[in-house]
Amino acid sequence: MHKITVIALNTFKEAVRNKVLYFLLIFALIIMGFSGVISDLSIAAPEKLIKDLGLASIDFFGFLIAVFVGIYLVYNEIDKRTIYTIVSKPIDRCQFILGKYFGLLFTIYVNIAIMSLFFFAVLYFRESTQPDMVNKALYHEITPGKWEAAGNPAIQYYLFHAKQFGLSAGKAFITIFGYTEPLTQGLMRVILMSALGLAVITSFAIFYSTFSTPTLSAVFTFLTFIIGSLCEDILRYTDKLAEKAGGVNMLTGADSLKYWFAWAAMHITPNLGLFDKRMDAIYGSEFVNPLDRYVTVDWVVVVYGLLYVGGVLCLASMIFNRRNFK
Amino acid sequence: MIVIDTNKLTKVYTHDFIDVEHGRIRFNFFRRTVALDHLDLEVREGEIFGLLGPNGAGKSTTIKILMGILFPTSGSARIMERPLGDKTVKGQIGFLPENPAFCDYLKGHEFLNYYGELYGMTRDRRRRRIPELFGLVGLPDHAPNLPLKGYSKGMLQRIGLAQALLNDPKLVVLDEPQSGLDPLGRKEIRDIILALKEEGKTVFFSSHILSDAELICDRVAIINRGCLISIGELNKLLNTKIKDYEIVASGLSGAAIEALRPRAQKCIEREGDVLMIVPTETEVNEVMRIVVNEKARLVSLTPRRETLEEYFIREVSRHAPDEETAREGAANA
Repeated sequence: MHKITVIALNTFKEAVRNKVLYFLLIFALIIMGFSGVISDLSIAAPEKLIKDLGLASIDFFGFLIAVFVGIYLVYNEIDKRTIYTIVSKPIDRCQFILGKYFGLLFTIYVNIAIMSLFFFAVLYFRESTQPDMVNKALYHEITPGKWEAAGNPAIQYYLFHAKQFGLSAGKAFITIFGYTEPLTQGLMRVILMSALGLAVITSFAIFYSTFSTPTLSAVFTFLTFIIGSLCEDILRYTDKLAEKAGGVNMLTGADSLKYWFAWAAMHITPNLGLFDKRMDAIYGSEFVNPLDRYVTVDWVVVVYGLLYVGGVLCLASMIFNRRNFK
Repeated sequence: MIVIDTNKLTKVYTHDFIDVEHGRIRFNFFRRTVALDHLDLEVREGEIFGLLGPNGAGKSTTIKILMGILFPTSGSARIMERPLGDKTVKGQIGFLPENPAFCDYLKGHEFLNYYGELYGMTRDRRRRRIPELFGLVGLPDHAPNLPLKGYSKGMLQRIGLAQALLNDPKLVVLDEPQSGLDPLGRKEIRDIILALKEEGKTVFFSSHILSDAELICDRVAIINRGCLISIGELNKLLNTKIKDYEIVASGLSGAAIEALRPRAQKCIEREGDVLMIVPTETEVNEVMRIVVNEKARLVSLTPRRETLEEYFIREVSRHAPDEETAREGAANA
C-alpha cells in the first residue's frame, strides 16, 4: 500500500506540473463565472441555469482532465524509458498501475474541489447580490417610504459586492465540507456521484493507455464515455429493434447484427447515466433521470461503480504484467 | 555463491505486422529476430563481470531480461539463487540502464527520494544516503535543487548511477555506464566500480569501451548476435606471450631509418622520433645495434601483449562466418 501511495503522490506531482491541467481548469472556471452573467438572459429561474452549467462543467472538465492527463501517464513512462528503473525496483507492476490510477484520480478530485468551490461561490454571490439586496445596502429608509443614499453610492456599491464576494467564498468553502442550505441542497450529492463516474472513466483511460498510443487511448476513452452516456438510448434502440422483429430470436440479417453490436456495446461499457443526478437536483423529482427507474438507491450505484473500477484495473494490471518494454 | 545464473536464455522479437519505413508500408508476416540465443552465463559473488559485444549483440537484452523489463522467450535465469522478479532480490539490486531517462519534472533530491521510497528505505536512511550519493557520483552542489530536465547527459548518467547505489545493493547492474561521459567521468565511474568491488559487491556491466573493461574486469563474456562466444578470466583469455615489441628512438639518420624499415612491421616517423613495431627479440637486437652505431637515443622499448580489444576483434571475426553459415543453414532447413 505504501508503494502505491508513493507512486500516486509522484503521479500527482507530475500531473500538477502539466500545463494542460491549468488550461482546462481555467477554462472551466471562466465558463462557471460566465454562467452568472448569462443567467440574466434566462427568462425564468436563472439559478437553474447557473446550476446546470456549473455542474455540467465540473463533470465535463473532470472528464477532459482524465483523458488528456491520464492517457499520457503510463505511455510517457514507457516511451521515455523511465519505466526501466521503476520495474527493476522491488514493486509489482500492478502496484505501479494502481499508483498511477489513484494519483490521477487525486488530481481530478482536487480539481473538482476547486471547481465546486468556485461553483458554490458563484451561486451564493448571485443570490446575495439580488437587486433588492443591493438597494438595501445602498439606501436606507429615513421615514416610511422615503429613502436616502447611505454615503457615496459608488463606494457603497463596490464595498457591498466585495463583502458579498468574501462571504460567498467562505460559505462555498464550508459547503464543500457538508454545510447545506436550500440553495445548494442536493448539489453535493450530484458532485459526489459525478466524481464516482469520473473514477470509472479514469480507470478506462488508464486501461487503454497500458496497451495503446495516447491518440488511440483518447479515442477509446471518448467512445467509452459516449456509449456509456447514451446507454438509455441504446437500450431503447435495441428494444425497438426487437419489438419491430417480434422478438430477439426473430431478428435477421443487418438488424440482428445491429442488435447484438448495440447490446454488446451497452453491456461492456459502464452505464455512466447512473452517475448523473443533475436532473433530480436541479429540476426536481418530476424530471428525474430516466435511468433512475432501474436504480434508485445511491449505494447500489456506488457498488456498481466500484466493481467496474476494480474489474477494469484488474484487466489493466494483467495486460501490464505481461508487457515487454523494448 | 553464483549471483547471476542464466540457463539457455533466449529472446526472439516478433515484429509488428505492418511497419512504415521511409514512407513505405512494409508487411512483416511472421518476421522474427533472434536477439538472444541459448545464453548460459554465471556471475560469481564479489567479482566485476563485463558483458562485451558489438552493437546489436544482445547485451542490453540480457540485462533487460535480468531486470524484469523483458520476458525471455525460453530458458531461465536466477539472481542470488532466486527466480527473476523476486521482490526480496530486487531490493538488493541497483540498476542503471543505457542512456537513462528519468522523471524530468522532479528535482535531483526529489527524484532520489522517490526512488528511495520505492526501495522501502526509511526517511532517516534516505536523509543520510542521498546527500552522500550526490558527492560520491561527483554531481555539482546545485544538482539536488535542479530539475532533471536541466541536467546534462553526463549529469543524468551520474544521477542514474546514484539511484543504482541508493539502496546499498549487493549486486550492481550497469548497462553502458560510461556512455556520454568525458574521460574524467569515465575514470570516476571506473573508480566507483572498483570501490564497489572492495566493499564486496558484485558488479555486472556491459560496455563498448574495451580498454576500461580490461582495466577493471575480473571476468568477461563476449557475445555476438545473441550467442556466447567466450567467457572466462581475463588473464586466461588473453594470450600472455609477448606478441611484439614497440621501440621509439630519436636522432636516427634517413639512411638508418631506411635500413630499419624492412625489419619492422610498422615504422612511423614523428617529429624526429621513429616508432617501430618489431616481431622478435632478434629484430630488437638488430635495431638496438643500429641505434648504438648511429649514436641515436633510445626513447623507449616496450614488449606488447595481446589487448582485450585485439582479443575481442579476433573472436568476433572468427565467429562471424560460422554464425552466418549456421543462420543460412537454419534458414534453408
